[in-house]
Amino acid sequence: MKTKLAPRFAGTKLADEAQSILRSCVHCGFCNATCPTYQELNDERDGPRGRIYLIKQLFEGADVTSATRTHLDRCLTCRSCETTCPSGVQYGRLIDMARGVMEHELPRSPGQRAIRWGLRKTLPNATLFGALLRIGQSVRPMMPPALKNKIPPRQISPRQHKRSDTHKRVMLLLEGCAQPSATPNTNAAVTRVLDRLGISLIAPAKAGCCGAVSYHLGAHDEGLDHMRANIDAWWPDIENGAEAIVISASGCGTMIKEYGHLLKDDPIYAQKATRVSDLAKDIAEILANEPLDRLKLRPTGKKIAVHTPCTLQHGQAQPDLISNILKRSGFELLLTSENHLCCGSAGTYSILQPTLAKRLLKRKINALEGQKPDVIATANIGCQLHLQTGTKTPIVHWIELIDQVIEI
Amino acid sequence: MTDISAQLIAQVLDARSQKTPLKIVGGNSKAGVLARDVIGTPLNIKQHQGIVSHDPTELVLTVRAGTTLDEIEAVLEEQGQMLPFEPPHLGTGATIGGTLACNLSGPVRPYAGSIRDMALGVRLINGQAQHLRFGGEVMKNVAGYDVTRLQAGALGSLGVLTEVSLKLLPRPAQTMTLTYELPQNEAIKKITALTNSAQAVSGAAWSTGVLYMRLSGTSEGVAATHKLWGGEILPSNSSFWDDLREQKATFFSGDDPLWRFSIKPTVPALLDTDDMLVDWGGGQRWLRGDFELADLEKLAIKASGHVTLFKGGDRQAEVRPALSNTHKTLHKRLKQAFDPDGILNPGSLYGWM
Amino acid sequence: MPDTNKMVRNELVKEFSSFLPADSIIADAETQKPYECDGLSAYCEMPLLVVLPSTIEQVEKIVTICHHRKVPIVARGAGTSLCAGAMPNEQGVLLGLAKFNKILEIDADARTARVQPGVTNLSISQAVRDLGLYYAPDPSSQIACTIGGNVAENSGGVHCLKYGLTVHNILELKMITAQGEFLTIGSQALDTPGLDLLALMTGSEGLLGIMVEITVKLLPTPENARVVMAGFDSVIQAGDAVRDIIANGIIPAGLEMMDHLAITASEDFAHAGYPTQSHALLLCELDGTDAEVDAYITRIENIFKKQGATTIKVSQNEAERVLFWKGRKSAFPAIGRLSPDYYCMDGSIPRSQISHVLSKIASLAQRYGLRVANVFHAGDGNLHPLILYDAGVPGELERTEQLGGEILELCVEAGGCITGEHGVGIEKIRQMPAQFSDQEIKQFMVIKDAFDPLGLLNPGKGIPTLKQCQEYRALNREHSHDHGHEAHAHD
Repeated sequence: MKTKLAPRFAGTKLADEAQSILRSCVHCGFCNATCPTYQELNDERDGPRGRIYLIKQLFEGADVTSATRTHLDRCLTCRSCETTCPSGVQYGRLIDMARGVMEHELPRSPGQRAIRWGLRKTLPNATLFGALLRIGQSVRPMMPPALKNKIPPRQISPRQHKRSDTHKRVMLLLEGCAQPSATPNTNAAVTRVLDRLGISLIAPAKAGCCGAVSYHLGAHDEGLDHMRANIDAWWPDIENGAEAIVISASGCGTMIKEYGHLLKDDPIYAQKATRVSDLAKDIAEILANEPLDRLKLRPTGKKIAVHTPCTLQHGQAQPDLISNILKRSGFELLLTSENHLCCGSAGTYSILQPTLAKRLLKRKINALEGQKPDVIATANIGCQLHLQTGTKTPIVHWIELIDQVIEI
Repeated sequence: MTDISAQLIAQVLDARSQKTPLKIVGGNSKAGVLARDVIGTPLNIKQHQGIVSHDPTELVLTVRAGTTLDEIEAVLEEQGQMLPFEPPHLGTGATIGGTLACNLSGPVRPYAGSIRDMALGVRLINGQAQHLRFGGEVMKNVAGYDVTRLQAGALGSLGVLTEVSLKLLPRPAQTMTLTYELPQNEAIKKITALTNSAQAVSGAAWSTGVLYMRLSGTSEGVAATHKLWGGEILPSNSSFWDDLREQKATFFSGDDPLWRFSIKPTVPALLDTDDMLVDWGGGQRWLRGDFELADLEKLAIKASGHVTLFKGGDRQAEVRPALSNTHKTLHKRLKQAFDPDGILNPGSLYGWM
Repeated sequence: MPDTNKMVRNELVKEFSSFLPADSIIADAETQKPYECDGLSAYCEMPLLVVLPSTIEQVEKIVTICHHRKVPIVARGAGTSLCAGAMPNEQGVLLGLAKFNKILEIDADARTARVQPGVTNLSISQAVRDLGLYYAPDPSSQIACTIGGNVAENSGGVHCLKYGLTVHNILELKMITAQGEFLTIGSQALDTPGLDLLALMTGSEGLLGIMVEITVKLLPTPENARVVMAGFDSVIQAGDAVRDIIANGIIPAGLEMMDHLAITASEDFAHAGYPTQSHALLLCELDGTDAEVDAYITRIENIFKKQGATTIKVSQNEAERVLFWKGRKSAFPAIGRLSPDYYCMDGSIPRSQISHVLSKIASLAQRYGLRVANVFHAGDGNLHPLILYDAGVPGELERTEQLGGEILELCVEAGGCITGEHGVGIEKIRQMPAQFSDQEIKQFMVIKDAFDPLGLLNPGKGIPTLKQCQEYRALNREHSHDHGHEAHAHD
């Protein structure tokens, strides 16, 4: 598609990249067919092709107002469109760039800014988030149901078994920011399963948020700082031979896999960032290459529906990985529909776009529960917590299912 | 093999200048069939005949409108091909032009399509004596409005057809008819059930307590379906399908008016009588006798379709159901668009057009 | 925008607001922008106003108001047209029907589905799959294109060789006339009394009415369907193989060809295992009972071998069959990997002319210094030459249009037509006089007049004005068209 950058963008690396992405779009409209918001709203402005057009307008120098931002804000960044796009348009990258430019050029109202600032400061801060969550959990029983829904009850780790920290094979573990307090069972399960496979995990204390919350909210510099801090925290162990960075939240994984690209112009971090991105692996990618028969699994007869998070199926292009592992492990998986659609969680989306998020949640739950599962398995904390607000069926990280059936 | 189009154009021009109506005649096999009686100077297209082009590897045939079905079918048979819509001749000398104007197709129609479906292009002389070409000789052509298919069933009211291009199909390797003794409603249900799986059906009809299911395809396919369905094999020398298509069966004999229902195929028997004939897998049903069009139309509407007085009866009155006002206006305007002076087969479809 | 337009727009907004929610009326230029074009982004025009109704009553009201005010209306579905058929009119309302996306009724026994026009082609087949049924026409954009658009363009697809085009697969339409009246045409039966308006509406490119409901026919899913994929060293060989298949009395469910450029681009997206070193690829689908399919596959393989196929692969399961088609069905947009823009032609020719026309296209492309990728429905003789260009290079679009025009004229000369399934729209309107005489064009105009005397529905598309015809003929005197009758009619 023909684009002509506005003079004020001409020559900047950002705009050049934007232009090359814009030009790769041939305007076929296939993307709208798999876009959750287009499916709900049926408005060209709320589908990828229309948003690309709005972004094109921005980079071509038109006067862009909050009207454009409304439609960009409605995008979940689920990147379902990228899976569908035959032309290979890197839409996720494009909308991130546009959001960055817009945050800069068109400041939001003070109230909106405060909410976003609040999200950026709490979510990525594990200690702060944990403290707030514990306060919430302690008063949860007294809360009205609507609010109660938003706060996950305290998880109690179901199993403990001895593990050794002294395997030859070592990997880094991303603890995550919300995960240690909201769903501690996930990484506990990751640790036990990998231990059984002869892999030790280390989690340097200085590593923190992957940077996704800030970056996707358009605070790019803040996001890049989170990334640099993580690289610094992991580097010594990488040099010592850690063979991978294990991530159990696919949203974080997708972000870390992009470090190399996002820091490519940083003279100090570019090379290290590429190495980190290469080492970043979803726990599913790790298990896919390990001999699972060594785990001695004894699956129960539970019927499972799988929700592969968008970050895993579209962001990391692994639509079947979890299902395949669960099947290989002997679990019974149910048929689900509209697998490509986002559940509406999408990072901070469920907080910032509650109406659409709720509609998508309802649709997703219906699609997942068509064959009445006993449990729904997913691979990202955001999806897990959001889905749980829409159903009584337990939502778990799939690795917990594996962990539960390992013969001790 | 003659091209008399210049003569035909001159005749239309003449009629136009004198404002005298023309009655288009081909083989005259459809006299008293389908259309209302037309009063006008005969415009005979029978002499305008001959195959214009036929490349067997293309599966396309272009013929002048006055060419007889007999001639076309003989040529195609030599090539192992056929007109896919199994046209009823309804008499000797039936022409391809008349067949298209009447949109007549045989028992295979629900499965392989009608002549309307197979029509790729036409040439016609409109009411202004302009010789025009629409569509073409290719399988797909969406340039301009589909004037070609608009001629199907227009009974010559929009133009004098002079040339027709049609899609052809290879003749099937094997044909077999299976019969089942069943009352009408059971037969209709069985047709629905059997045709809901993808088998090579080429006809489904019911007459006097017997359901006839015809299969056409590869010998492997036909044999496999027979094995699956069971049923008695109708002897291959049976004239059942010919008699049905050509209205030679006993049901059609005599002078009683012949009514044709075109309805949603799954609808159960329309009348509490077994004296109806079911064709087109239930979609076309025949009835004989003196009835009021309006009464039968009520039945047809309930069955999501319509009824026409196909043959006999009063053909100076309307023979097909009344149209809504919006439809009537559109019909009049379209007639006007092709034939501003109303000289081509006036009243063939409706008295008012 | 002239002040009078602004005034009309403001008044329309006021009237429409009484029955449409605010977010269904788009009046600001900033967010109207994404609506300025359809799938052919080379042709753009900003609409006066965009409306997104969701009920038939709303459409009736919109059309009535526009008729009363003599405001043009352009209907739009998913905006996937490749001929700018849904490009807005700057004085008109763009009527988006995307919210009409419900499947209203499925009658499994009668094998029909009653659907709203904004339902996507593919979702119909998905909705009836468990009943063992499907909707046969499958344009390559079926994932996104709407059934309303399919009817408006009489869309084909890779399976229409055996199962026909849209016109063969629909039974009934509900529409709103240019005057705002509700009209049902066709019926649940196989024909209707009176003129075949269903055929006339199909492929009428939104010029005769606004569709609001469609009943489609469904077919039973074949017991078995397999694809034979073969690579050839030349398009000539592949073209000859196509001819041989038809001449042998075989009608495959689909028979598609791609050339080298198209093969490489599609493979890059779909990873379907296409032979990327081949110069031509044929995909031939056979369907029917197991016994039939096996018998056909042997015959097809022999024909391919005889014509010198370098690779032959037969799909071993349903997933593989779908994968083989995935590359083909994504071929157009996948060309976006090779070039920022492409111009997709749609000429239709007799099958025997395929080799001749393809080699002529190659030499034309060379003369223009442009690359052409070929993806097409070989079994139907429906070509899709994709001219690769860069709209950012001054003059390249114009050269592309010229080359495109020459390709279409070449198709007409070869006994074919300028558009097999994409429609005329804006894109091919200049070439209409290559296929039709002035008298024929005039006949189209009076048909349009019968439905829409004020000329409000999708003006400027589909049928050229006589002035456009004269300009074309003046430019192309040397190519006087061979219709066997007087091309320059005087009325």
